[in-house]
Amino acid sequence: MIILLNNLRKIRKSENLMRPRKVRSLAVRHCDGGSCNGCEHELSLLSSPCYDFQRFGLSVVASPRHADVLVVTGSITVAMVDAIRRAYGAMPEPRKVVALGACALGDGVLGQDDRIIGRLDDILPVDMRIEGCPPTPEQIINGLTKLLEQA
Amino acid sequence: MTSTRLIQLSSSSYRDYLRTCLEDGGKFLGLYACRTGITCLVEGGSGSISALSCDTPDKKAPSIVDLAFNANWDEREAHDLYGIEFDGHQPLRPLVNHDSKLDTWTVRLEGEEPYQVAVGPIHAGIIESGHFRFHVVGDRILHLDPRLFYKHRGLEMAAESKHFKEAISYVGRACMACSVSNTLSYALACEDILGLQATNELSRTRTLLLELERIWNHLNDIGAVCAGVGMAAGNAIFGYLVEQVRRICEQVTGHRFMARSIQVGKSEIEVDGSTVEQVRTKLGEIRKLFESSWRDLVFNSTFQDRLTGVGIISQENAKLYGVVGPAGRASGLSRDNRSRDKSLLYRDFEVSMLKDPSGDVKSRFDQRELELNQAFDIVSALLEGDIASATCEVRRGPRTPDEQDCIDSDNSDTGRIGVGLVEGPRGSTLCAVELDGQIIKRVHLRSASFNNWQALAKCTIGNLLPDFPLINKSFELCYACVDR
Ligand code: SF4
Repeated sequence: MIILLNNLRKIRKSENLMRPRKVRSLAVRHCDGGSCNGCEHELSLLSSPCYDFQRFGLSVVASPRHADVLVVTGSITVAMVDAIRRAYGAMPEPRKVVALGACALGDGVLGQDDRIIGRLDDILPVDMRIEGCPPTPEQIINGLTKLLEQA
Repeated sequence: MTSTRLIQLSSSSYRDYLRTCLEDGGKFLGLYACRTGITCLVEGGSGSISALSCDTPDKKAPSIVDLAFNANWDEREAHDLYGIEFDGHQPLRPLVNHDSKLDTWTVRLEGEEPYQVAVGPIHAGIIESGHFRFHVVGDRILHLDPRLFYKHRGLEMAAESKHFKEAISYVGRACMACSVSNTLSYALACEDILGLQATNELSRTRTLLLELERIWNHLNDIGAVCAGVGMAAGNAIFGYLVEQVRRICEQVTGHRFMARSIQVGKSEIEVDGSTVEQVRTKLGEIRKLFESSWRDLVFNSTFQDRLTGVGIISQENAKLYGVVGPAGRASGLSRDNRSRDKSLLYRDFEVSMLKDPSGDVKSRFDQRELELNQAFDIVSALLEGDIASATCEVRRGPRTPDEQDCIDSDNSDTGRIGVGLVEGPRGSTLCAVELDGQIIKRVHLRSASFNNWQALAKCTIGNLLPDFPLINKSFELCYACVDR
């Protein structure tokens, strides 16, 4: 364990990430609405020492009940509509919705018309759009912190 | 390189033909339906691929699940998408279709004690969507019915009637984590039909990209196992390593996941010698950090204790389920497509095997380390000098005996169907393409994940529910690849 922690300490030092002066908090619930797994893989890196999104007060929570914001990825398959709506319905007010990635924004979506809705806007009110295919971890953090400033 | 041979069979001779193929040392590779029939792909003992095709005007075909157990999901998918009834496959449970009652897609367990735990489609972490029905007593799993296809986007059908050059983006869209493996298998399938063969330069670029994809995926999957036992420090280090490799992927191809880097018949990737050298040095640093972190994990007994003896697939079951990739090798099956490969640069490739593969989480974990080191070696040997754009050449020279064979026999044909077989990070990835001129008639992607999900469900039996995340992570299968 000592080597691991030592390695981590060195990484932290070399990355030397900026710490914001004022920190507020935003609890995020992710929901995959039929992605290619790219958006998820970038989301997973937010907590890595290269990005350490918790320094901005951002965190991923296990239940929509605990969430301030629902982050939805993918081309919104018909099979996921009900689950996405229910997750949204379970969130306490005030709640925000983020469409993450080109697919959720309805940009260049591929698939069969009767299998996908094609954009998140058609099923939920979207507060923030984060572009990219997939958006980089940096773009995701920028989008989410902007949402924090708006609140 | 030999072409795929198409063998047209009647539904009465199809089973017998397949049985003979399998008895002769053949291997079932996949099965799919189209509007007019079904096609079953087998690899012969010599490594040549045959497509056994059988018309189904009455939407009926004999089942082959008793001959090839891992055709189970293939037949269920063919039923849900094309309405084929498989004679002898009982019960033919729905797979893609979700609008059916619980007891049609789950196994019924009788008795007072067993109860069900339903998880998903939305999970607690950053995970793809899918639903699991655990049948448990207390914490002990008796049976698991996974229900995927929440992410079914109909990519294969949507790709039909497109030009083959356009259709590659549909295959690429299936899964970003396996984007090189999937699109490369597609490109090889098209080149198989078109009679094209990659030049050495093109093979080099492709091999490099495929191994880079393996490196970041294996790093990711080792990190995932750390996360699966709640070891945050390990997860953090491996997250860092994944990020570093993703940056290299961007440097080489312009995209962090190397999307759109594979094209049919050519490669437009160009990297100058000094950047190649930089990448080599950087990968060397990544490897060093990986090795020291790995050593720490090896000597962490609390951590190791969680992995041993959990989620076992015996060699016998691995064979039955045709488990592919690192998971198969961790159960003692020494199969790796790279050792049969003739279209990429895997000369002198030797399959890495553990000394004592026992098929548990620990074996799958250790297997990845072996393969990672091998991938680092392969990549560093390929990173010499400029990378230039490259093309295919038309295949020349005398026909191979196999090809001659199928020209001689009157019920087989080459040139209309092509198959590409690639060893992706999770194992054998297959793409079958049928062309009408340059237009896609049918494209079918059968990823390693599609094959291995069936085995994953099986190997949870008898384990503890709290160990499921760990077992799951030791496979780290994609949902997107499966659902398409
Ligand atoms: S936006 Fe791009 S990365 Fe995200 S789900 Fe869609 S295709 Fe995948």
